[in-house]
Amino acid sequence: MSAPTSQPRVMQQSVFARQGTRLALPISIVLILLVGALLSDKFLTLQNLTNVLINMSIVGIIVVGMTFVFVTRGLADLSVPATVAVGGLLVLGLQSSLGTLGAAVVGVLAAAIAGAVNGWLVGYAGLNPVITTLASGTIVLGIAQVFVGGVIVYGDDPQAQDFLTGRVFGVVPVIVLIFIAVVAMGHLLLSRTVLGRWSYAVGSNPFATQASAVPVRRVRAIAFLLTGTLAGFSGVLLGVTLQTARPGIGMGYEFDAITAVVVGGVSLLGGSGTVLRAIGGLLFVQLLTNIMVLQGVPTEPQGIVKGVLIAGAVAIDVALRRRGGRE
Amino acid sequence: MTETAVLRMTGISKSFPGIRALSTVDFDVEAGEVHAVVGENGAGKSTLMKVLAGVYQPDDGTIELDGVAVRLSDPIEARRRGIGMVYQELNLVPDLTVAENILLGSTPSRFGLVDRRALREQARAVLDELDARIHTDDLVGSLTVSQQQIVEIAKVYAARPRIVVLDEPTSSLSEHETQSLFRIIGRMTEAGLAVIYISHRLREVLDISQRVTVLRDKRLVDTRPTSGISAAEMIRLMVGRDLTEVFPKREVEIGEVALSVTGLSRAGEFNDISLTVRSGEILGLAGLVGAGRTEVARAIFGLDNRDAGLIEIDGTVVNIRGPRDAVRAGIAYVPEDRKRDGIVPQLSIKDNISLAVLDRVSAAGWIRPNAERTLARQKADELTVTPPAITPRVDTLSGGNQQKVVFAKWLAARPRVLILDEPTRGVDVGAKADIHTIIGELAARGTAIVLISSELPEVLAVSDRILVLHDGRISAELPRGASEQEVMHAATGEFVS
Amino acid sequence: MTSTRHILDSEVFHALVRNRVVVILVSTLVIGATLVPGFLEFRTASLGLDRMATLGLVAIGLTVVLIAGQLDLSGGAILALSGIATIGLQSQLGQIPAAIVGLAVGVAAGAVNGFLVVVLRINSLVATLASLLFFRALCHLITESRPISGIDPLFGLIVSRPIGGTFTGRTVLFFAMIVLLHLWLTRAVAGRQLFAVGSNPASAEASGIRSRAYLFGAFVFSGTMAGVAGVIQSLSVNTGSPVFGERIVLVAIAAVVIGGTRLEGGRGSALGTLGGLLTIAALTTAMEYQSVPAYLQDIVTGVILLLLILLDRTVSSSQRRDVTLAALWRRAWASRQLKENERTNAP
Repeated sequence: MSAPTSQPRVMQQSVFARQGTRLALPISIVLILLVGALLSDKFLTLQNLTNVLINMSIVGIIVVGMTFVFVTRGLADLSVPATVAVGGLLVLGLQSSLGTLGAAVVGVLAAAIAGAVNGWLVGYAGLNPVITTLASGTIVLGIAQVFVGGVIVYGDDPQAQDFLTGRVFGVVPVIVLIFIAVVAMGHLLLSRTVLGRWSYAVGSNPFATQASAVPVRRVRAIAFLLTGTLAGFSGVLLGVTLQTARPGIGMGYEFDAITAVVVGGVSLLGGSGTVLRAIGGLLFVQLLTNIMVLQGVPTEPQGIVKGVLIAGAVAIDVALRRRGGRE
Repeated sequence: MTETAVLRMTGISKSFPGIRALSTVDFDVEAGEVHAVVGENGAGKSTLMKVLAGVYQPDDGTIELDGVAVRLSDPIEARRRGIGMVYQELNLVPDLTVAENILLGSTPSRFGLVDRRALREQARAVLDELDARIHTDDLVGSLTVSQQQIVEIAKVYAARPRIVVLDEPTSSLSEHETQSLFRIIGRMTEAGLAVIYISHRLREVLDISQRVTVLRDKRLVDTRPTSGISAAEMIRLMVGRDLTEVFPKREVEIGEVALSVTGLSRAGEFNDISLTVRSGEILGLAGLVGAGRTEVARAIFGLDNRDAGLIEIDGTVVNIRGPRDAVRAGIAYVPEDRKRDGIVPQLSIKDNISLAVLDRVSAAGWIRPNAERTLARQKADELTVTPPAITPRVDTLSGGNQQKVVFAKWLAARPRVLILDEPTRGVDVGAKADIHTIIGELAARGTAIVLISSELPEVLAVSDRILVLHDGRISAELPRGASEQEVMHAATGEFVS
Repeated sequence: MTSTRHILDSEVFHALVRNRVVVILVSTLVIGATLVPGFLEFRTASLGLDRMATLGLVAIGLTVVLIAGQLDLSGGAILALSGIATIGLQSQLGQIPAAIVGLAVGVAAGAVNGFLVVVLRINSLVATLASLLFFRALCHLITESRPISGIDPLFGLIVSRPIGGTFTGRTVLFFAMIVLLHLWLTRAVAGRQLFAVGSNPASAEASGIRSRAYLFGAFVFSGTMAGVAGVIQSLSVNTGSPVFGERIVLVAIAAVVIGGTRLEGGRGSALGTLGGLLTIAALTTAMEYQSVPAYLQDIVTGVILLLLILLDRTVSSSQRRDVTLAALWRRAWASRQLKENERTNAP
C-alpha cells in the first residue's frame, strides 16, 4: 500500500487572509479620506493636506527605522525619545561653536552611537530589547542633559529655520521633501538590498538564516543603529525648525512610531511588512487625528484612539497568523 | 499474552498528509512487565507512543485498557487513564524543589498554604518506593540530568499510573546512572506497573525487558520474549527490508582529497573524529540516534563550536568560526531539521534559493533582480521543484519540494564539499528519486559529498565508503558492498555474529 | 580567555551573582555611609524608606508579573489614573469613597491588561504599551492636562505622617505587603505554582494548573498595586496629576532585577525585590545629598540595570549547584555535622 501522493499544501484560508490584510490599509485610507471630506469642507484642501504631511514628517523618519526593528523581530526601540532629544539638544547647543550644519552632524553622530550601543546589546549580547532600550534611553537622555545643563536650549539661526520651513516651488515644504527622501531610501534599502533581504530572513526564521551563512547578529544590531540614527536626525530637524529644544522634546514619538507601524500591518513577530505600509499606517493615523482636530475634538481622546488602534491592530494580526497555521 | 494485558493496542494505523506514520500495529503490555520497543529512526516508535499519550488520534484500530476499549482524546485524558509519559525533554520547574515538582498540581495544603511536612513526607514516600536517593528540598535546577530524570519519573509515578512509558531514557546517562534507573524500573514493576521501554541500546533492552517488539518501516515486525532473542536477531529484524526504493548509483571518477577532518572533538558529543572525502566521492555517515553524526556535521560547518580539530579544504587549513567561514571555504550543509534550520517560511522560493549567495546576485549591496530570478529559476528547474513558479511562499510547498528548495539554495553556492543530513527524510518517493539523481550528478561534477542517513538501504546504495559512528566515536569504516548487518553491528556497538 | 571562563564558571562567582542583591545592597550602604553624614541614622533611613514606599508598591506588583514570565509597562499610567480618580471624586463622594474608587480603577486597569494578554493573546509588551498609552491619554483627557487639587490637604497625612515617631503609614503598608508577598511566594500553593507557570506554562497546564488564570491574576495584581500606589501618592500631596509615575516603571524594573528576578520568568523573590528597593533608596538618598540632578540619577539606574541583565546573560547558562542562601546554609550546616561526627569517631 503506497503512501498518498503529496500535493502542494496551499492553505486556502490564509490566502484570503493575506489578501485581506494587503488591501485593508489602502481601503481604509480611501475611506478615511471620504469621511474627512464629508465631515469638513476644509479637509481636502491643499493647505490642510500639506499640514498633515508636515506633521507626519518628523515621526515618519522615525517610522522608517522602527520598521526595520519590527521586521527583524527586534520588538521595539523605546530609546527614541532620548535619541530625538540628543539630536535636538546638540544641534542647537553646539550651533554657536560649530554652525548649524556642523552641530547637526554631531547630533546625528551622537544618536548613531547610542543606536550602535543598543544594537550591540540587543544583537550581539542578546538582551531583551524592550528593557535594554528603555534603560539605554534613560542613560542617553541623562547624558544629553548633562551636556546642556538640563535646561531649555535656544537656537539662533533663523536662516536654517526658514530653509526647513520654506517651500520648494512655493508648494512643497522642504521638510516634507526630506521626509519623502528618507522614506524612499528606507523603502529601497529594505526591499531591494541584501541587507533588507537579510532583515526579512532574520525576522522570519533566525535559525535557518543563521544556517544559511547570514550574519544574523549584525543584521539585528543594524536595525537598532538605523533607528537611533534616524531618530537623531529627526530630532535635529525638529530642533532647527523650532529653534528651541528641551530634554523632553522627543517624548511620545516612540508610541506614535509604533502605532504607525502596527496599524500599517507590519507584524510584531517579524519577517513581513514594508516601509511603505508603515508610512501608510502613519498616514491613516495622521488623517484620523486631522479629522478630529477639524471637528474640534481635544487632544486627549486622540491618545485613547491610538491606544485602541495598537491593541486592535495587533490582535487582528495575531488572529490572522493563527488562522494561517503559524505560531 | 492473554487477558492479563493492562494495555492492548490492535491494528493501530496513522497517516499524515503525504506520509504514512503507522500501519496496523499491534502492541500489548502486561502488569509488572517491562516491554521494550526497538526500531531504527523513522520506524514508527515515537508515533506509536504519541498515539498512546493521546497526542495523536489513530485513524484505525482500537486501544483497550484492562480489556475495555477507550478513546484517548488528549494528553490529559491519557494521564487520567493511568498512562504516564517520561519524555526525553523533561517537564520540570528548575526553581522549585524536588518535592514540589513531584507533587506539582497536587500539592498537599492547609488553607491554601503548602503543608510542608506532608509535602516532604509524600515526596519522600514516592522516592523511597523507587529507592531513589535524592533530597526532597533540593532545587531541581541544581540536580544532574540523571537526578532530574529520576525526579521526572517520580513525578509521573506519584500520579499512580498503570503504565509508564520511558522514551530513550539512557541517552544522557552514564553506566552507573543507568543502573540506578534500572533499579527504579524494577521497583515500579514490583509495584505492578507496566513499563514500556523505548531504546536503541540493544544491550540494555536485553538486560531490562521481558519482551521486545521490533518495528520497521511503520509496521510491526514481531514481538518476542527477550529470553528467546539475541542482539543479532534483533538487528536482523530491525533492518531486513525489501530493497525497492534503492536507486542505481552512477560510476564516477574519484579525485583528490577535498575535505579532511582530523581529531574533531566536542566534550560530551563526539571525540576524535577524523575523515577524508575526495572529489566525486560519496562518504556515508551511518549510526543510530545520538551517535553524534549531526553534531559532527554542524561542527564542521561552524554552526556549533568544537573543542579541538583541524579542517582542511583541498589541503589548506581553514579556520571555521561560523557558517560564513564555512561557505567561504566551499562547504555547504543541508540540515537535518528542515523546518527549523532549512527554510525561511515567509520568503518566496526565489528568496530562499538565493539566501546564501546574495553577494553573487548583487552589486554593492543592491540586489540585481534579473540575475536573482535567473539563478533561482535555473536552480528550481534543475531540482524540478513543484510548482515551477518561484514566487510562491515556501511554506506552501510540500515537504519534498521544500527539501528541494533547501538543496537548490546550497547548490547555488557551488560548494566544494556538500554535507547532507537526512536529505530524504519525510520526503515522498518521487522527490526522493529526484534527490538521489541530483546527488549522483553532483558527484559526477566533482563535488565531495558526505551523506548522513539513518536509512540503511540509502546509505549502502549511494555511498562509496561508509563511516559508522557509535556513541560519538567512529566505530567502523566499511567499503562499498558492506551488508546492512555489518553496519548495524558497528552502529550499535554489538560485535556479535 | 579560559581564565575568564574559569572565573565565570566558578561556584563562588555563581553564589555571588545568585545572591547579588546582598552584595549590591551592602556595597551601596557602605558607599552611602561614606558619602552622607548621618546616613545610617534612623531619621535618614525613615525618610528614605518613605520616599521609596510608592515605588516599592509598584515593584511588588511587577515582581509577580515578571515571575509569571510577562511584562507590565503600564504601572505608571495606572498610578496616575488612580490618583486622579481619588482626588477628582473627593468633592462628590467624600474622601474615603473616592480613595476606594481609585483603588478600583487600579483593579480594573489590571483586568484590562489581563484581557489583552490572556484572552486576545497579545504579547505582553505590546499590550501593556498600548494600555499605557490609553491610560495616560485618559489621564490627560480627564484633567485637561492640568493637575487637580483635593479638598483637604491634611487628609493625606494619614499615609505620610510618621506613626509613633517611627515609620510613616505608607512605609508600614509597603513592608506589610512585602512580607505578605514573601509568604505567598514561599508558602502558598498558588504562589509556588506561579513559578511553574512562569517557567513552562505548557507543562504547568499538563499538571493541572490553570496557567491562563494565573497570568490574568498577575496583571490584575500588578494593576491593583499600581492603583494603591497612586491613591497613596495623590493623597499624600493632595494632588492628582496626569504626569505622575512617568519614570516609575523603569526604576521598579531595575529594583526587581537587582533583586535577582529574571526577565524570562520562573524565578524571583519578594526579599530580593526588597533588597533591590533598599539599594535604590540608599542610592537615591546618597545622590540627593550630593545634589545630583534627577537626570544623572536616571543614568545611574539605567547603567545598573543594563549591567545586571548583561551579567545574567553571561552567567545563566552554566549553573550547576544550588547556590541560594538557603542551600549554602544547609551545606555549611551539613559539613559542620560531618566534622563533628569525624571528631567523635576518631580514635
